[in-house]
Amino acid sequence: MNWGKYVLGALIVAVIVHFAAVFAVPRVLMNVAIERLGAAGVNAWHMSDRVTAASRQIVRPSPDFAYSACAFDLSQGPVTISAAAWRDYWSLSLYAANSDNFFVIDDREAHNGAEITLIQRGAAHPEGASLVAESPSTRGIALIRRLAPTPGTYDAARSVAAGDVCASVAQLRAQN
Amino acid sequence: MLRQILAWIAAVIAGVVLGLGSAWAALQFGGAAFSEQYGRWHFSRAAGSSAADPYTRAIIARAGLLALSAREAVYFSLSEDEQGRPLSESCVYELNGRPLDARWWSVTLYAADNYLAQNTDSAHSVDASRAGNNAPWSIRISPVRGDAQHWLSSREARRGFVVMLRVYNPQRDFRPSEATLPVLTTVSCAGDRP
Repeated sequence: MNWGKYVLGALIVAVIVHFAAVFAVPRVLMNVAIERLGAAGVNAWHMSDRVTAASRQIVRPSPDFAYSACAFDLSQGPVTISAAAWRDYWSLSLYAANSDNFFVIDDREAHNGAEITLIQRGAAHPEGASLVAESPSTRGIALIRRLAPTPGTYDAARSVAAGDVCASVAQLRAQN
Repeated sequence: MLRQILAWIAAVIAGVVLGLGSAWAALQFGGAAFSEQYGRWHFSRAAGSSAADPYTRAIIARAGLLALSAREAVYFSLSEDEQGRPLSESCVYELNGRPLDARWWSVTLYAADNYLAQNTDSAHSVDASRAGNNAPWSIRISPVRGDAQHWLSSREARRGFVVMLRVYNPQRDFRPSEATLPVLTTVSCAGDRP
């Protein structure tokens, strides 16, 4: 029996599986995060409770931030994402399905809050949209961080967060 | 014929095991190869950026999913003391830092599983809004507070915990170096001879 071809076969399979696994890891982890965040509804903000030792949704959460997350889904068209202004550091960041941070805006650039129309990369830019961001993937996560290191500032951030919007443009039009 | 089929099945299984094993090892131990080191601090400039290669992306996704890009924030992590030993709950450490060329910073303690230590001390993090960014500061890392002004509780953090430094809105001339980053010193460890 000639073992050479089996060893070669095993090595070829090993190389393919190795690269496939490395490629898949961020996508699988992002998918898990999108599923968890989206369980309560996609294209809607969900503000997480103040970070404590019991917070185990996303690795390495910072207890100094008030986080709001929105699992976005562009399959039904563009999504409007807005963040209300906050008195201290805040940022709005967008993550693609492969975990890349493809867009970020913070209070230095947007003193009065930010409003973004999110579209799939390559799709037509909607008319009248002031700021358009192109997502490389259909699904992903939008995240707002507001610096709020104390229980008092966290509560204030919670009231401000009530003014954030994450909703499909079609849905918003239907409401108006 | 049957022997040949069995041999191929064995070869495929061996290949899958080897592929998964080597991928796991690359992500588990390869972190160092894709990051820069300043003293004991590890830093990856590629965090969150779309230019990250597949390995860096996978390593970051495991340890810091939803991290920000380097323009917005830079992250440093420390998992060893000055002698290269894993950080441990049975030791008392002091972290001494100087003002950083950035708008805000924070230092947070995570247990080995990358979540906050399972204690109720409400001392998981110290940030610039409490310790200031105009003068040198000092944080004690220990299971009990004692007389420390700024304290990170390592209670229930066990062995192998991580101290993470977040630097937000770094200025354009922010250059991390061993001299500018905080310095960790071991004060004492349980079991040390007096």
